[in-house]
Amino acid sequence: MNGWTGQILRVNLTAKTFNKESFTEEFARKWIGGRGFAAKILFDELAPGIDPLGPDNKFIVALGPIAGIPAPNTGKAVVAGKSPSTGGYGDGNLGTRVAEQLRKAGYDALIVEGKAAGPTMLYIEDDRVEFLPADAVWGKGTYETNDWIYAKYGKGVGVLNIGQAGENLVRYAVVRSLEGRAGGRTGMGAVMGSKLLKAVVVKGTKPIPQADPDGMKKVGMDDLREVHRIDKEAGWSIQSTNGVLAWCNEVAALPVRNFRKTHHADAWKVDGERLNNARIATYGCPNCTMRCGITIHDDEGRESELDYENIGLLGPNLEIFDLPQVGSLNYLCDDYGIDTMSGGCTLSFYADAIDHGAVAGDYGFNDAAGSKKLLGMIARREGEIGNILAEGSMRAARKFGHGSEAYAMQVKGLEVAAYNCKFIPGMALAFGVSPIGAHHKESWVITFELKSTSRESYGPEKAQKVIDLQRIRGGLFEYIVSCRFPWIEIGWGLENYPKYFKLVSGLDWTLDDFWTISDRIYSMIKLFWLREYPGTDRKLDYPPAVWFDPANADTDGPIAGRHLEYDKYDGLLQHYYDLRGYDRRGIPTKATLERLGVAEEGRAAEKYGKLT
Amino acid sequence: MKITVKLIGPFVQVFGFSEKELDVPEGTTAEELISLVSIDKSRPKIVTRNGRAVVPDEALAEGDRVVISPIYSGG
Repeated sequence: MNGWTGQILRVNLTAKTFNKESFTEEFARKWIGGRGFAAKILFDELAPGIDPLGPDNKFIVALGPIAGIPAPNTGKAVVAGKSPSTGGYGDGNLGTRVAEQLRKAGYDALIVEGKAAGPTMLYIEDDRVEFLPADAVWGKGTYETNDWIYAKYGKGVGVLNIGQAGENLVRYAVVRSLEGRAGGRTGMGAVMGSKLLKAVVVKGTKPIPQADPDGMKKVGMDDLREVHRIDKEAGWSIQSTNGVLAWCNEVAALPVRNFRKTHHADAWKVDGERLNNARIATYGCPNCTMRCGITIHDDEGRESELDYENIGLLGPNLEIFDLPQVGSLNYLCDDYGIDTMSGGCTLSFYADAIDHGAVAGDYGFNDAAGSKKLLGMIARREGEIGNILAEGSMRAARKFGHGSEAYAMQVKGLEVAAYNCKFIPGMALAFGVSPIGAHHKESWVITFELKSTSRESYGPEKAQKVIDLQRIRGGLFEYIVSCRFPWIEIGWGLENYPKYFKLVSGLDWTLDDFWTISDRIYSMIKLFWLREYPGTDRKLDYPPAVWFDPANADTDGPIAGRHLEYDKYDGLLQHYYDLRGYDRRGIPTKATLERLGVAEEGRAAEKYGKLT
Repeated sequence: MKITVKLIGPFVQVFGFSEKELDVPEGTTAEELISLVSIDKSRPKIVTRNGRAVVPDEALAEGDRVVISPIYSGG
């Protein structure tokens, strides 16, 4: 089966067993890989209602047909499971050599089940699987764990690991890779930790089956050079993702002070110019020629790799405008294995809750030292407050009460990425209908809203744009498994991806064929949510309440006095449902499921929640 | 009239400044301003005036802050 190895490796940590399972060509063509494989496997194999931090959850690593093959920018893997932060479907992607090594070992996906008897490192080398003790690094951060693995196996192996946050079941713990990358902000690090799985190490030596390996090699290498040339010409990687910070500040979209404000006079101190000036090194994922990881020295002299999301949420959102201090918070999150976005939002929630008297505490905005201390307490679940904040802002708010729910910037339990949608209706919708909670990776429409329609509009054009981008970003790039940056940041044509797909699989597909796959997977994930939340309604797809609050409106700047409006947002949400073929609860109708080839899954979900 | 022009992201390095104040004739439009600061017209961009997107022939006013940015896509 060209394009796929045709094998999934299933490992049971409880029994210390493993087996290789073949999948059919029909399965491959229907779900493609990555998020598609993960969503289908989790839907089929997880009983609704299981504890995401219990042994019944499964940790999945899933790759796609172009993952790991030299071409722009294919060094990524999807990690997935039932999310400890949302209780729904959860996943994330990260740059890692696992993409190439797992496929060379002969697998398109890895399913990890059960729970080990003690701290374990899973070592996979082609047909061999070893369950090795990881006591030596249990309790250690991800950097030391990485070094320990490097020392054993060299730097060429694929590695996924967790820090103390994953071990201690922090609900927004991430999985980290050797390249300094993190993924799975829906708590996939905690899923690994719940299984006492400290690390996965992979080495492969087999060729990846391809229809035209020589053609793919030539096209892939040529295109890597071309992406590099375009990036150099455009200058995108000079400031990388953090170029957008200054723009967000200008157009009132920056999260400042737990999203209370949308701009700040000191934002320039942590913008892309300052980041580029402070640069000491640049890092990228495997098979990347437009590297986005800019490292600086943090305020303790450590190397910290920054991008916009972590600067936005650990910087302005906490009213910290000192780049080395932000770098230090980022370093700690990376070492502990805490998601920088949810970590930043949970800290800002705590500061805001104290500020408004919902809870007593010795912490506040613009408190780098206090933030560092709290991150350590969270990672270790130390003391009452460390333990509460380790649960994330939604659960912490329920614990604190006194109206503090209003300060938790989250959707479905996942904290909002670094775009303040106080008055950006389409982006608020993108966060609301993201299938994993408030993540920006599914769809990002702010430029469209300002440039191609009007910021004030709640019209169907915005719902359609969210869907168009979900099909590409949350769809294609998540199941073919490749980084979206060449397309979104420097305009690398989407038509290249069916081209790569044909070279590896021999299948001549159009982009429209891929959009059907995207819609199928989104519907599948909706069914997963329906099973977990049978009483679900459209309120699950609402953004944070504070964005609707007139009392929270800006008092100056371009959106002074403006805020989202409930009835209009609800209308925009209905446009989205209508265009998607979902009912008023946001659940795909039977007709939609039939059209997308998931009627059987619909019937399975109907035992738990009604379909219309 | 005095207008402040702010460039974003790689435009800072590519076009040689980050922010500057210009004295321009009354009635200058956004498009004319872009020419005045030698921004390559072929580069995809979004131009905002005091935080709101402008159309090319929109006339500017004293004290405006005009921001010229590449088209970002949100990482």
